[in-house]
Amino acid sequence: MSSELSYSRVNRDVMRPLFDMGMHWYGLVGLVVLGLAWGGYCWGIQLVKGLGVAGYHPPVFWGVYITTFVFWIGIGHAGTLISAILFLTRSRWRTGIYRAAEAMTIFAVMTAALFPAIHVGRAWQAYWLFPYPNQRQLWQNFKSPLMWDVFAVSTYFTVSTVFFFIGLIPDIAAVRDTTKGITGKLYTAMALGWRGTDRQWRHYMAAYGFFAALATPLVLSVHSVVSWDFAMAVTPGWHSTLFPPYFVAGAIFSGCAMVITLMLPLAKAFKLEEYIHVWHFEHLAKLCLFTGGILTYAYGTEYFIAWYSDNPYEWDVFVDRVVGKYWWVFLTMVLCNCTIPLLWWFKKIRTSMMGLFVISIIINIGMWFERFNIIASSLAHSFDPGAWVYYTPTYIEWGIMIGSFAWFFLWFLLFVKIMPSVAIAEVKETLRPPLKHEEHAAK
Amino acid sequence: MEGINRRDFLRAGAVASTAATAACTYDYKVPAEKVLPYVANPENVQPGLASYYAGLCNGCATACGLVARNKDGRVVHVEGNPDHPSGPGLCARGHFDFVAAYGPDRIDGPMLGNDKLTWDDATSKLVEAWNSAVAAGKGVAWLGQYRTGSVAALLGALAGAGLRRVHFEPVGVESLLAASRRAFGLDELPVYELAEARTIVSFGMDFLGTAFGSMAMTKGWARAKDPAQGKFVARTVAITPRVGQSESQADHWIAARPGSEAKVALAIAKLASDAKGYQGPAAGLLAGIDVAAAASASDVSEDKLREIAGWLAGAEPSVVLPGGNANAGADATALAVATLLCNEVLGNLGRTVVFRGSRPGQVNSYADAKALLDDCKAGKIGLLLVDGLDPAHGLPADADAAGALAAVDRVVQFANSGNDSTNDKTLILPSGSGLEQWSDASTEHGLHVLGQPAMVSLKDSRGLGEVLLGLAKAVAPAAPTDPATAAPTDPATAAPTDAATDPATVVAVPIHASATNFAEYIRLRWAAEVWPTVPGRPEAASWWREVQAKGVVHVPGGNVAAAWVATELPAAGEAPSGGGKHTLVVYPSPLLHDGRWANVPWAQELPDPISTFFWGTWVEIHPDTAAELGLGEKDLVEVSTGQGSIKVGWFGSKGVRKDVVAVIAGNGKKTGLYAKGRGANAVSLLAGATDSASGALAWLSTQANLKRAGGDSGVHPLCGNLDQAGRHLANNVSVKDALDKLEGEAASIVAVHHVPIDERVVENGPVDMFPEPQHPTYRFAINFDLNACNGCGACVVACALENNTPFIGPDQMRRGRTMTWIRMDRFWEGEGENQDVRYLPAVCQQCSHAPCEGVCPVLATYHNLDGLNAMIYNRCVGTRYCANNCPYAARRFNYHTWEWPESYHLMLNPDISSREMGVMEKCTFCVQRLRYAKDSWRDVHETVPDSALQKITACAAACPSNAIVFGNWKDADGAVRKKGESPRSYTLLGELNTKPGVRYAARVSYHQPVFGGHGGGHGGGDHGEAPAEHGAGHSSPSKKAGHGTAEGVH
Repeated sequence: MSSELSYSRVNRDVMRPLFDMGMHWYGLVGLVVLGLAWGGYCWGIQLVKGLGVAGYHPPVFWGVYITTFVFWIGIGHAGTLISAILFLTRSRWRTGIYRAAEAMTIFAVMTAALFPAIHVGRAWQAYWLFPYPNQRQLWQNFKSPLMWDVFAVSTYFTVSTVFFFIGLIPDIAAVRDTTKGITGKLYTAMALGWRGTDRQWRHYMAAYGFFAALATPLVLSVHSVVSWDFAMAVTPGWHSTLFPPYFVAGAIFSGCAMVITLMLPLAKAFKLEEYIHVWHFEHLAKLCLFTGGILTYAYGTEYFIAWYSDNPYEWDVFVDRVVGKYWWVFLTMVLCNCTIPLLWWFKKIRTSMMGLFVISIIINIGMWFERFNIIASSLAHSFDPGAWVYYTPTYIEWGIMIGSFAWFFLWFLLFVKIMPSVAIAEVKETLRPPLKHEEHAAK
Repeated sequence: MEGINRRDFLRAGAVASTAATAACTYDYKVPAEKVLPYVANPENVQPGLASYYAGLCNGCATACGLVARNKDGRVVHVEGNPDHPSGPGLCARGHFDFVAAYGPDRIDGPMLGNDKLTWDDATSKLVEAWNSAVAAGKGVAWLGQYRTGSVAALLGALAGAGLRRVHFEPVGVESLLAASRRAFGLDELPVYELAEARTIVSFGMDFLGTAFGSMAMTKGWARAKDPAQGKFVARTVAITPRVGQSESQADHWIAARPGSEAKVALAIAKLASDAKGYQGPAAGLLAGIDVAAAASASDVSEDKLREIAGWLAGAEPSVVLPGGNANAGADATALAVATLLCNEVLGNLGRTVVFRGSRPGQVNSYADAKALLDDCKAGKIGLLLVDGLDPAHGLPADADAAGALAAVDRVVQFANSGNDSTNDKTLILPSGSGLEQWSDASTEHGLHVLGQPAMVSLKDSRGLGEVLLGLAKAVAPAAPTDPATAAPTDPATAAPTDAATDPATVVAVPIHASATNFAEYIRLRWAAEVWPTVPGRPEAASWWREVQAKGVVHVPGGNVAAAWVATELPAAGEAPSGGGKHTLVVYPSPLLHDGRWANVPWAQELPDPISTFFWGTWVEIHPDTAAELGLGEKDLVEVSTGQGSIKVGWFGSKGVRKDVVAVIAGNGKKTGLYAKGRGANAVSLLAGATDSASGALAWLSTQANLKRAGGDSGVHPLCGNLDQAGRHLANNVSVKDALDKLEGEAASIVAVHHVPIDERVVENGPVDMFPEPQHPTYRFAINFDLNACNGCGACVVACALENNTPFIGPDQMRRGRTMTWIRMDRFWEGEGENQDVRYLPAVCQQCSHAPCEGVCPVLATYHNLDGLNAMIYNRCVGTRYCANNCPYAARRFNYHTWEWPESYHLMLNPDISSREMGVMEKCTFCVQRLRYAKDSWRDVHETVPDSALQKITACAAACPSNAIVFGNWKDADGAVRKKGESPRSYTLLGELNTKPGVRYAARVSYHQPVFGGHGGGHGGGDHGEAPAEHGAGHSSPSKKAGHGTAEGVH
């Protein structure tokens, strides 16, 4: 870290958005509220008129909603990966970015969690998916991967959230020290009596390490379980043992890209370039190159296995993805996920803000289409050729998807307004501890 | 708290809490209704139990028998009458007649223009119109559909009083009748008994669809194709310009040039007579036939003609079927005579071609109808009675029916709602549904069908017979000239007479003078004419009760020996020429018929068997023609003839010649809630030429030009892919294999495998991760015999009506959201002569290891002890995971709250759970019927016997060709087990090891193999490694180990 930084400057810089938010923020909030209202309107129509307002074309019974669900679950991977796994492996470059990445994770999972309710036919009965003692004497089917989903996602969400709030404690305490009134009381409560004593630090670090260890397997498990929604089905194009690692790699790929997409403007807008350095993004880009490589390999493996297995149903689906009506989805996916990100092999591009930002958005688009490709094109080209169809989403589906982005960004905007988006305490750890006279001088 | 006292606070609190309660208790369900008991309980009515009434189907002129199920006062389902010779089974069109009874635009009482009349007013207006027409010296005429039985008898009486009768149907039989007269001097239609025919050559008769008598022919055809029944398999050859539903089931499609069929038929007659050494009375006619000329005129090589003649001559007996409507040209009679000549030469008369008084009553030709309309236009007709027809829609523009009707002083229509022919002066007399009124029919010697009211009339209507009886009493007062025909007053005292009753020449006995109502009229007429012919002359009163119970009196026999009398042949015509690049083939819709069911939404929505299109009109053109025109998938095509043009969507059919464009008729109506503005009227393109020998409309006489018209046609196939992409879903086996390995032998002859299987699995059978489900008493199973299935769609409709699955309209259908639980997959394999259209009725397979069950998070679908994948509709939250995981795409989702007019609610079957928006549904083998049967038989401590199960489901009961058999797999002697263990049997996608309860029997065909593995028996398939012995598709009793196939169905 830059040697000019001092503890007090870190406090000032990182906490500035909490107290001094420009009109831009309100403008952005207004914009996402509009988007959210549009999504809500679309969902309202769907609730009243039925799922038919979406473009479902049987036997394609899942479409944009499940695609977007998996997309957000995927986004939710990078945060915990960065905060937990990189913490355990002592990768120092996580420091500047992990707080926002973690927040992104939680908000992404919160966004994803909307979709099971949005996509079911009777949203008003969606609570039947939760096993709880009830007078109807009904119980759930634990053979169903959807039930595993319910547990995987809710566990991941709980652990991530707890981990996030634990990581926040010292920083919240720092904010507490600068606030008064009701806000101050809230921060006081959230700081859980943090005083920064040695004893507290010792316990805190132990707990943090413990939660990091607890969260780590979840990074791998949640997307594996989500992938089983597909892999456990008999549908050609879904029924594959490759899916868990393939999905996890894809999730980290898209999650890291999303971190870049979010943090670049964040660093710029809040003048945090000294904390969130291009060096961080370069590391993320490298991680994307690595996971993107795994992903490309997985794509290839899928084709190889489909051919090598000599299973005509499987092979037909994969051929159809390239030459069938969904060719444009496949092409988008390959261009965005396998080809364009390769530009990051050039140091010049992966260290340029524009190169990072544009390609990260392209990856996000590509990863959405990857899920669409898996879900829609497989169902549209299943066992019975008499039921081969072409599904096109309607404005309702796009509207709800836009609404989901708005929902996500609303939370994220609130987060940057309320909480320090860079880990103050950890940044301070990287600084040279101030000497008494220097501290005095710095003031 | 200044200004608020305790009272105000309480008041405000009460308002707020009431509002909050009201807001929270908004009930999205139907509000509670009162249930009131009967004031006077009707006799023999037990609420919740159904009553059954035998009746008469009014779907077409064939007049089959049906059985109506009345539940709590409403007919909720109809099935074929098994006592009728064409039963069991009821075709799709028969079901539409039932739906039409509940049509939302049925009028309530007589209408004159927009004014509602009482029946007294209306009938007096009718009589007035008659009298004033007679007084004015103008004619009184009848233009109606074919009628037999008592209505025909009454019309006979009215004809005596001066009624000019014209019975005409657009899908008519006049040329066939003319041919019988010419060839044999018989004024009746030949009955084609296909059951024993070894070779069937058809010149386009829609014998599995819209033809007169198709139900019986369908059964005969299925029987002739069944290798187990007759130890032979009939070879079917279709010689037509277009492959329609019947032609699609042929083994060979000979695409003769349109208009040349008569020459081809004559050439075949000549060649066959040479082969057989025919020396009969028609021998003289054969000498002049030039085979080579026929070959060059028809594009069919001489060798091919010889081959066909060889197939015919080598088969004893065979049958040659005449042309159908679609290819009836200006020489329709010549073609029909030529086919009769073939049958004469081949010795089929009396064997497969039988004369026994078959005809749909009086038959007039299109020329007669046009002459009547011309007279109308000339102002010569004072009263025109129109029965059943919609002449303004069903006749070519040339006839100008609308103009003719406008020129008549008074037009009276017997119809349940206005149609395209209705104008301001039309008096509409709603004659009700056949399910509400008395009627009868007799289309053959010794075959009488009684139609009884199965429910109270839903609207204020009066049966046709009732009105005619009143009219006859008024205008044709009885003047019995012959005491022998004096009306008996009571059946019990009826004097037996030995007078032969020839329905074709029913003599109008003036029973109408004594009968007080039409029911009594029928009873008296039957007592006088039917009862005396019944062997043994049963006691009259109990006989009548039996007639009412059975609905049918069938006294077989009465075959007439036919001797060839024609000494010259009608001239064979030339191919239509001039005016266009393409010959226009207009064919009757297999579902809407001549358009009479166009206002039945279930009929509009049922996919066409060939294109799988729905809700509209389209053309069939050859894919090469489409490419030439540069047509995009959604483009409209403009079809123009000298008479006009229509713009419709298109289907690229390999089953039409490149110089032919085929347009489906039936749509393009201007009236009707569901018919209005739907598609275009194909008949309006016809020039209105006639066959000079019979006066029949020459459907095949016009040429058309095609043009790309852009736009969005909106028509869309339901079936996703044209063929089955090399997959073995609808399988064929070769005739040799089928005959070599008949029932009872072990090895399967169907190769259905796609996926290479691990050797260990081959040795030990598949490994199941889950235990076998228990089926203590029943394992319900169904067998679809693809050899008998011709894709007619009767099962689809019957299922929809039994299980209350809705129609959803064209927009939803275009998204493929059909709610019918049976999806009739159409796979079009092969090219040219080897055209091979396969149908696969895809339903829920009721798997023992069902992929859908495991993935449902809320256990809304589960495997029950009877082997069903039961559904708990109320438990479903609508994740649709089950549907994604169903390899058979058999599940349906309620995307919306499907809405339809109130009147259809009365038609709903009350035995079914209703399904609300957002839940999944699917076939459950008519679980309500199974449950009822199980409960009834449990009352006598027995399991349901096989005989009670075979036709228990709505689909099995409806199937006209007996292709569907239901039963209990655990019953080792049951029919479904026997069929399921036949070597032709296989399960769909057996390699998935889902162990379905549905099995299919492969079609037996003379087709050349279309793709690898066809005709099986040697394993293989696309992937040669697959061992033939493996898998559920290859049930082999010798392989018991863990391999569920030992049971076949699990």
